[in-house]
Parts: sequence; structure tokens; C-alpha cells
Amino acid sequence: MKRLSALCLVAAAMLALVRPLWAEDSIVVGVPLPLTGDQAKFGEMEKNSYLMALDEINKAGGVKGRKLELDIQDSQGKPEVARSIVENFIDVKKYPVVVGAYSSSESKQVAAVAQEKKIPYLVVTGSADDITQQGYDYVFRLNHTTEMYPEGLITFLNEVVKPKTVAILYENTDFGTSSSKSFAKVAEQNGWQVLINEGYEKGALDFKPLLQKVKSANPDVLYMVSYVMDAAKLMNDAKALRVEPKLFVGGGAGFTLPEFQINAKDAAEYVISVTLWAPEVKYPGARQYAENYKKLYGGESDYHGVQAYAAAYVLADALKRAKSLTPKDIRDAMATTDLMTPYGPVKFISFGKYTNQNKLPSFVLQWLKGQPQTVWPKEYASAPYVFPVPRWKDRH
Amino acid sequence: MSEPNAAVSANKLMDFLKELGPAFWIVVAVLALLPVVGGFLLNDYIYHLIILTLMWSIMGMAWNLLGGFTGQVSFGHAAFFGTGAYTGGLLAFKLGISAWYGLLLGGFVAVALGAVIGWICFRLRGPYFALATLALAEIMRLVANNWVDFTNGPMGIQVQRTFTTKLPYYYIVLTLAAVTYLVIRAVIASKLGYYFVAIREDQDAAEAMGIPTARYKRLSLYFSAFFMAMAGAFYMVYMGYIDPHVVYALHDISIITIMVAMVGGVATFWGPPVGALIMILIGELFRRLPWAGTAHLTFFGILLIVIIIYMPNGVVGDTHKLFGFLRRPVSRAPGPMTAEKP
Repeated sequence: MKRLSALCLVAAAMLALVRPLWAEDSIVVGVPLPLTGDQAKFGEMEKNSYLMALDEINKAGGVKGRKLELDIQDSQGKPEVARSIVENFIDVKKYPVVVGAYSSSESKQVAAVAQEKKIPYLVVTGSADDITQQGYDYVFRLNHTTEMYPEGLITFLNEVVKPKTVAILYENTDFGTSSSKSFAKVAEQNGWQVLINEGYEKGALDFKPLLQKVKSANPDVLYMVSYVMDAAKLMNDAKALRVEPKLFVGGGAGFTLPEFQINAKDAAEYVISVTLWAPEVKYPGARQYAENYKKLYGGESDYHGVQAYAAAYVLADALKRAKSLTPKDIRDAMATTDLMTPYGPVKFISFGKYTNQNKLPSFVLQWLKGQPQTVWPKEYASAPYVFPVPRWKDRH
Repeated sequence: MSEPNAAVSANKLMDFLKELGPAFWIVVAVLALLPVVGGFLLNDYIYHLIILTLMWSIMGMAWNLLGGFTGQVSFGHAAFFGTGAYTGGLLAFKLGISAWYGLLLGGFVAVALGAVIGWICFRLRGPYFALATLALAEIMRLVANNWVDFTNGPMGIQVQRTFTTKLPYYYIVLTLAAVTYLVIRAVIASKLGYYFVAIREDQDAAEAMGIPTARYKRLSLYFSAFFMAMAGAFYMVYMGYIDPHVVYALHDISIITIMVAMVGGVATFWGPPVGALIMILIGELFRRLPWAGTAHLTFFGILLIVIIIYMPNGVVGDTHKLFGFLRRPVSRAPGPMTAEKP
């Protein structure tokens, strides 16, 4: 009998499959996002931000007098599931446009399918350079590419720090490896000698052997591409070993988050990081977005969240301007986007190898008295930078 | 070839076909005719799910030959899957040759890899072999991830997909799955199959009977690695993009492959296809439960636990439990994996 009841349970669970019913008159757009698995944290942050923007858009009258809805589905961070989702969006549900996905490997899948089916697709967080280098005319990217991340940092290093030597440590993920590659290229172009360029497995337990090498090489600048826990651990170990470059620089990712400062404590002080966005940035609505997010969801958001938030507005704007809701017209409308968002100005242009890529400046932030302050470029600065940085033994 | 020999092999073929039974032909015929007669039921989304299910069946069958029939449990079949995928990918990426050649070549590269690992590891028994394969897959992932000049590292390899429609992929993967099924079935029906099962049931007894166990375990591994790599190469050409994190994944490839075989039925011929059906199709149904939200994986996990508890031999191995009135167990020559061990 037990077996029978178990089977009944399973059967009941299957019968409970009901398609979500959308209101007749709303416009629905599909969004694949990793809501489970190891990228779930960002998926959740983006989902919250999409819903927040959606709520505002619909309160302000929606799109063409209709409500805008997002069908957000869990991709589990797997490319083949992301593909199942888009095939379903495009072929079964007939959505005219797709937005989102988190990682580059997911975004590449979605982009390839969207291009094949001639459905416009807006990349929101996937940062691998080549997504918008395929000549896809139906794929647009809102966010910075990996290549663009350190642009602000380069001018800062050239004008303020003037290093002769650099060392690079990076997590050997797609983001980390391509970041280190492009930074090594930048160093070569600027005449900085690369003393060390080494990857490590994400979530390493001990960075002391790596940092010991850095200490004996004694570079002017230590550039690190790490996620938050690794970033904090790197700085704690660097402090313990008294590694003394003129400047510690984070290549974005983990070094900008509040958790970094909480875990690294005073070892985080004076660390500089590349950042794509901070609530302090002088874009209209940036601070308000961060505050509203905190009020609504309790946690902190970062650039991933604001990318999603801005994406919803870019989408709504394109839909409003589209002559009709066919994929072709939406694509044409998106191509002529010219919109100011809390993430920065959005305009899809073709330059270099890129097609339909948004071009944005990147910033430099510095941890000062436990707070992340935008210090570069000067016109966006919320506090003056501190350089040279005191040696470990001179700090209290 | 002398006359009597030809007659003997013709007889053997007849025996094999007789034992194969109608089920195989019915399933293949239904799937082959589906796009022709049932085209209105299908769309690219359904095609995608069937293609994935067939691909996973190949992977499950490949694992099952080694893990189920020969009893050598591998926790690292992603090593072969990824090697097949990377062989295809690198052909296109480095040499500009079509990645399709990976379907065959990838198999042979994986066999070469299997030769190395089998030569070392089949001196090991039981859990030691499982651990060695686990390590192998991780090593392959780390190499592919860090040897950036050769493999493009974590940036992965992207190739242009050959077809923009699903139909060609559908028939290709269906053919591959059918061939895999037939080859594995033929292997098990041959002398090899009896050796494999003998090794699984009692390695010492097999050895005492004069079976060179290490050699036959290696042979089983070669077949298994070949088909696994073929599935990997198919993944490359079908998905168009691979990176080490995706194709050498411990959980998403190695463990799910074991689940496909376990849930369907270890050491049964139809187990892996049924397991793939459950893992892919039912998994997708659960993912789309509107009220479950992100808990869908929990519910799916519960389903798998229920299956494993009540049907420890898998859905196919324990069909008689599902339909109590079918008193005799389904044919699962040459015997289930759970046979008593001394």
C-alpha cells in the first residue's frame, strides 16, 4: 500500500502541472535565470531587480497601454537547460523577445538560438567578449565586456600610480582567465613588466604560497581577479605575510562587495578595485535604486542587480517605440535605443569587432574607512583617492 | 572464410535478432516516423528534449556496460564525455576541420585515454577504481581549464552549428543511440558479455576459471569510453559551445550519468533509455511546475529517492513491482546486478 500511495503522490504531482496563465492583454517576455545551483545568489538578485523595475513600469502605465510581464524561468546554470528554456519561449510560447541569462556560457547558447530564429535578445550580465563579436544582428548587449572592465583603472594607473612592474593573480574561470589575459595585454602596451601571471582554483584554501612568490617578486601593483571570499582571504593572507606592493588592485567581481570588507576587515583598507557601477556613481536613479532595493528585499545589490533593473527599462523603452510587437520591429527599435538608466547611458553601437554593444565607462573605487568610495574618473569621484598607501606596519 | 563459418555466423545473427525481440524495432520505428506522421505534435522545444533524452540514453548505456554489466563503477565518465567533445571542438578550433569528425575520432581518443587509465587502474578493485576515475575526470577538467593555449581554457570553444533546424540532429542522435544499443546488446550476447558478468559476479572465481580479468575489464572500458565520447562529440556539434566547466562536470555529467543508469535499471538493456526519459523529460516537467518555484529540484529529488527506495533495481529492473500482475520479471539477460554475492 505504501508503494501505491507513493505512486499516487507522484501522479498527483504530475497532474498539478498547469501552465501559468497570463492576463490576456499583457505583453510577456521570457527571462532565463539561474535560480538554483551555485549562481543562484545572482539569479535571485537579478530576479528581484527585474520585478522591482517591472512594478514601476506597470505603475507608470505599462507598455502601449498594456501590462508588461516577465516569465522568469530557472536555468539551473546549465547551458542545455537555458537552451530548453529559450526554445520553449520562442517556439512554443511565441515570445517576441528574450532578455537575460547570467553566465557567459548560458548567454552564448541563448544568443545562438535567438540569432537562428531571428528573435531579438538582450544580454544583461554575460561578459565574455565574443558574445557580441559574432556579427549577430539580433543580439544586443547592455553590460560591459570583460575587455572594458579595466579601462578606468588603466588611466588611473598611468596618471597616478605610474607602475613599472605588476603581478597578476586570477581565479581560473572564464571571467578570471579572460580578465588576466586582457590585463596582461594592457600591461604590455603601457610598458609595465608582468612579473607573475598565475591562476588559482576558485575557493582555494590557502593563498600564502602564491603570495610568498608575489612578495619575493615585489611588484609595484598586485592585480587580482577573485570572487568575494577569495578576495577577502587574499587580503588577509597578504597582510599576514606583509606583502607590500605600492597598491593592491582588484579586478572587479569580489572586491567591490560589502562582504569583502566584512571578511577582510582592516586588510581591505586602501584596496582599489575596478567597478562597473556603484550607488555613488552620478547616474540619475543609481542611489535610489540601491536604496529601494534594500528597502524591498533587505539585502545589498551590486552591479548585477542594476544591470537587470536597467535591462527591464531598456526592454520597455524598445517595446514602446516598436512599430508593432513583431520580433523584427522590436529588433529595429532596440537598435535605435538611446536611454539613460541608473546603470549608465545605453546605446547599441558597432565598433572594433563588436556589433550592437553598449559602451560604458568603468570606474575605480577605493575602500576608505570601511566604505567603498568612487575615486576615479575625477568627474565621478565621491572622495579623493589615497595614494601612496601606508605600509602595513604603519597602519593601526 | 570457409563455408561452415559463414553459416555459423549467419546462425548467430539469427539468434541475436530473435533474442533482440520486437521492442527495439518498435521504439526505433516510432521515433523515426514521429516527425513524419506526428509532426503537428512537435516543435523545436520538444525536439530539443527528445534529442537530449537520446543523448543521455547513449551516455547511460555506455556507463551501464562498464558499471552495470561488468560491475566496475565509474564516477568519472565525464572524462570520456569531455574528451569526445573536446576532440570535435579542437578539430574545428585548431585545424578548421568539421567538428563532426569528432563523433568517430573522439571515440578513439577516449579509448586511448581509457587504455592509459585502464592499464593503471584495473589493478585496483572496487572503490579504488571508482576513486581513480573520479580523479581522472577532475584532472581532465583542470588540464582543459588551464592549458589555455591549446584548449582556450575557460573561454571555451564555440563552433558554428551546421543545421539551423532540429530534424537532422534528431535523426543523427537517434541513429547513434540505436547503434549504441545494438552494439552493447551484441557484446553482451557474445562470449565477452559472459566474461563481463562473470567478472562482476565474482572476480576471483572468474580468474580461477581462466578469464584474464584485467584484460576484459579494459575491453569493457574501451567500449564504454567510445560511446561516451561519441555522445560528447554530439554535444559539441549540437550545442555549438563547450567549456571545461560544462563538459567535464562532476555533478552535471558524471553523477547524472550514473543516475540515468541507476534510476532506469542497472544491468538492463532498456534501463538507461528509461532513466534518461525520467531524468530529462520528467526533470523538465518538474522544472516547469508553476507553484514549485525554486523548490522544483527538491520535488524531483524526492521522486528519485522514492524510485530508488521502492525500486532498487531501477524502473526497468523492477517493472514487476510496478505491475504486480506481471509475475515474471522482464528479461534482463544475463541477470541483475543485485545477485547475491558471497
